[in-house]
Amino acid sequence: MSNKVNRRDFLKIMGWSGVGATLAGCDLPTTVTLEEGKEEVVSYLMPEEFVIPGIGVWYASTCLQCPAGCGVHGRVREGRVLKLEGNPESPINRGRLCQMGQSGVQAHYNPDRITQPMLRKNGGLTPVSWHDALEVLAQRTGPGSGLTGERFAWFTDTISGHQAVLLDAHLKAMGSDNHYVHEVINNSVTRAVNRDMLGEEQPRLRFDKARVVLSFGADFLGTWQSPVHNATEYAKFRSPPRGVLVQVEPNMSLTGANADLWVPVRPGTEGLLALAIAKVLATKHRKPLDKLPAAVQELILGYDVNEVARITGASGDHIIKIAGWLSERSPSLVIAGATAEGHEQGYQIVAAIMLLNIILGNVGETIEPAGEFPFPQLTARTGGTRSLVDFAKALEEKRYDVVFFRGANPVYTAPKALGLAQKLEGVGFKVAFSMFQDETTALADLVLPMRSPAEDWGTHVPAYQGEDRVISVQQPLMEPLYTETRGFGDVMLSLLKMHKVAGYSDYEDYYAYLRDAFAAMPAVLKENHSDDSFWARALQKGVIPVPTTQGSLTVKTAAVEVPGDSGRGEYPYFLVPAARLGMWDGRHANIPWLQEAPDQITKVVWNSWAEMHPSTARKLGVKTGDAVRIASSQGTIEANVYVYKGIHPDVIAVPMGRGHEAYGRYAQGRGVNPLKILDPVTERKTGELALMATRVQVSRASNEKVMVKLGGSESQLGRKIVATVTADVFERTEGGA
Amino acid sequence: MSLKNVFTDWSRYRKGIEEGGFHDYEHMWGMAVDLNKCIGCNACAVACYAENNLAVVGEEKFYKGQAMHWMRIERYWDEPDLGEDRVKEFNHHGANFIPMMCQNCNAATCEPVCPVAATYHTPDGLNAQVYNRCIGSRYCSNNCPYRLRFFNFYSYYESSWPEPLHMQLNPDLTVRDKGVMEKCTFCVQRIRAAKDKARREDRKVRDGEFLPACAQTCPTGAITFGDLLTLHTPGGGVGETKVAQMWRDHQVELGKTRQTKQNPELRGYRVFEGLNTDPCVMYLERVREV
Ligand code: SF4
Ligand code: SF4
Ligand code: SF4
Repeated sequence: MSNKVNRRDFLKIMGWSGVGATLAGCDLPTTVTLEEGKEEVVSYLMPEEFVIPGIGVWYASTCLQCPAGCGVHGRVREGRVLKLEGNPESPINRGRLCQMGQSGVQAHYNPDRITQPMLRKNGGLTPVSWHDALEVLAQRTGPGSGLTGERFAWFTDTISGHQAVLLDAHLKAMGSDNHYVHEVINNSVTRAVNRDMLGEEQPRLRFDKARVVLSFGADFLGTWQSPVHNATEYAKFRSPPRGVLVQVEPNMSLTGANADLWVPVRPGTEGLLALAIAKVLATKHRKPLDKLPAAVQELILGYDVNEVARITGASGDHIIKIAGWLSERSPSLVIAGATAEGHEQGYQIVAAIMLLNIILGNVGETIEPAGEFPFPQLTARTGGTRSLVDFAKALEEKRYDVVFFRGANPVYTAPKALGLAQKLEGVGFKVAFSMFQDETTALADLVLPMRSPAEDWGTHVPAYQGEDRVISVQQPLMEPLYTETRGFGDVMLSLLKMHKVAGYSDYEDYYAYLRDAFAAMPAVLKENHSDDSFWARALQKGVIPVPTTQGSLTVKTAAVEVPGDSGRGEYPYFLVPAARLGMWDGRHANIPWLQEAPDQITKVVWNSWAEMHPSTARKLGVKTGDAVRIASSQGTIEANVYVYKGIHPDVIAVPMGRGHEAYGRYAQGRGVNPLKILDPVTERKTGELALMATRVQVSRASNEKVMVKLGGSESQLGRKIVATVTADVFERTEGGA
Repeated sequence: MSLKNVFTDWSRYRKGIEEGGFHDYEHMWGMAVDLNKCIGCNACAVACYAENNLAVVGEEKFYKGQAMHWMRIERYWDEPDLGEDRVKEFNHHGANFIPMMCQNCNAATCEPVCPVAATYHTPDGLNAQVYNRCIGSRYCSNNCPYRLRFFNFYSYYESSWPEPLHMQLNPDLTVRDKGVMEKCTFCVQRIRAAKDKARREDRKVRDGEFLPACAQTCPTGAITFGDLLTLHTPGGGVGETKVAQMWRDHQVELGKTRQTKQNPELRGYRVFEGLNTDPCVMYLERVREV
């Protein structure tokens, strides 16, 4: 440890600054560690680390397939990681994993990994050594390179834990605060509303306590916040006394597919529907509106339910039924997700939806304060799509000479209208920290091959944690497959060394840094353990519980202004780029298991599709399997149609995630990317891209490919395959439990 | 050999019905799948790919019906039980999901048709497939009413696991080659490991001490797995397993083509049990507020 730094700086270097250093204790039970266990089983039979012939050992780590940060156990045998299972110690996922988490091994063993550094020479990327790569980095970005902080930026996906500490230190060394964080699947608008209305961005949601969940497009079982955690809570919600789930959205999500009542609406009218429900609550069920400002009360009482039904597409009966459930069964939980957020007035729509929680008294009941995470340096830097817009604008203004990319793939996710690929040509030196040759990496000038999450060290603090907060520990599950790949933390330390940043420069590698960081962890987290035994325990359990400060939610409402139906013009249909647990934002298109896993709703495999209502299909003269051309003002895509009754007739939905121009053998050239043809409309208050605001024309196209899907029949043909009982029966037979 | 097996299987099965139980079995592995909890997320199916070395066949072969998904999530849109209304405009109750894996039928229709007895019943109550005896006649898959047997029309080793993907393969079981039939085994390698461990420690396998990969990962805990053997002991006997308890609670019994429930509203049912396959998987009906 360098003696140049004082204690305060030291805590900062190690990521522990903040109030956490003074926290009260929490309980950590004693268990045998794998490190200790290894000593027990180690014998001459064990030629190297990870290798105990014939015996599978489970190591704890963290899933990085999405930002939820579930804990995993990796089964390691003969030095290879074979299978991932959920870590039961993690309060995030309680031993369970989703299909993307299960596929983590196929990201790790993917045959299209980048195996060595590459430098652009005469137009093409040519292999170079790490030594040369770092030399080039020093020349272009190091001290003496002449690069100033304003002319440098990082562009990443969600990053937290000690990786974020190092990234921040690097930004500081560069004298820059340009950090763009990009996630297509996000809840940025809701976070902004929560911050303004409740005083906390990500309060803890209690699905398990709710008797009614009313979700406006929040696909909490599939793509929202913490899918596995939500699913475990959902199981409790559905246990007696069984809660009712109502899902309001333009096309059916996985969550919608599990709803008791699924209500299709025209995109952008969700806020209106929420206010109409509020009106019925106030007038029919005498719910007081007195917690709301007078202007809002007036607005609510001014709505005519039939008129709202006409505009939104929901039936009046359903509005009344929903209000009835909400008033009879308490507490309830009202949430909003991507399809409600993705409009010019998204903030207002979500605010209108959140009013229902206030009217129904859910704040403090099913919406609890999460409290402050005591180590702000480690918390997740997360983001949405505003970063894309801002980044494109900055490139337009030629503000950057050097950009570092990690995790995010903006060249794939950015709508064509933002012209990101072209604008990136203006950045002289682009560095990709990457495992795969994705669209963004393909444009880079220097490619630094990263270790896979199963080969690397890290700590993670997911932005949303539904239960007790933890730092989730990531440890290698095996030796790196490729010697010329490096860990992200290792490279970050090399960069900090290059800048001679005091405190960081002494570490040989990220492992050494983390060991010291764990040793420096506030005593309260370590209980009374020695540094070594605490380290071993953290690795064995995979999570370090962190007590949070007591929080409180303060309700503040402002006037809301909800949009009604906007005109149609020459583009009669709404385009919904649908998010799915599987391809996600496109990052999993290179995983063969997930390509071959049938989509939960349509059951299509290996390709894109366009969802359409039967009445729309009739109008266009198409049936399931026929190809259509979908044209926005920004471009055209073609896909085969899937016709079903889980979509509003004015909506065409195309899933995100396919249509890659690069990204390896499994992803490249399969399907289409609906994000490409989005209008570059932004949400007014937050600046996020309004992902649901694009209008399209649809016409028949000539069929070039057959649509491949699981199952020949969409109907049970009268056989008892999936049998259903009504909730009344369930209540009678099992309700007492 | 084959004929002897067939006769043993069938006499054991008949005895089971006549004497109310499968007394000479060591175990009777079974499941209960709660469709009130299953969300159709597909995690179980991918877990099965990871655990059991299932080949990825690609789009073209998937189209030909050659996919190897031992576990698949079927999705239907109609709800015969809620009075299907043909003219309704929307699927207001969402979808109907059901995870389908080999039902490990006690009177498995796939077994007696195998000309070489490659598929037979084990004393664990499992419908087993002996890969190196299988000659690929495909009679069994033809005879499975659930369509849960999968044939290796090709050798997938090269195409499904290009290097280094092959390093993920589970060494506890084989990669099946061209010409062989395969299907869900209830993760027999995990059963084996648990039994071996119990034997070494001189005890019985404990309920819940191991789980098949699908049940292990299911985010909602929709799949319960365990031994059904106590089901025919009146009152359940000592140490009734969770799964047996669920069968008992829902008044579903083995060895019947039609359940005679005291309370017909209970949710337990077996798919196509009228065909006299006597499946070891019980489903609990999906629930919807109407
Ligand atoms: S929800 Fe995200 S973190 Fe959890 S298992 Fe799935 S991909 Fe991994
Ligand atoms: S993992 Fe569980 S919830 Fe998901 S489809 Fe399978 S059984 Fe259903
Ligand atoms: S029991 Fe095992 S083999 Fe059968 S479906 Fe589940 S994971 Fe697959």
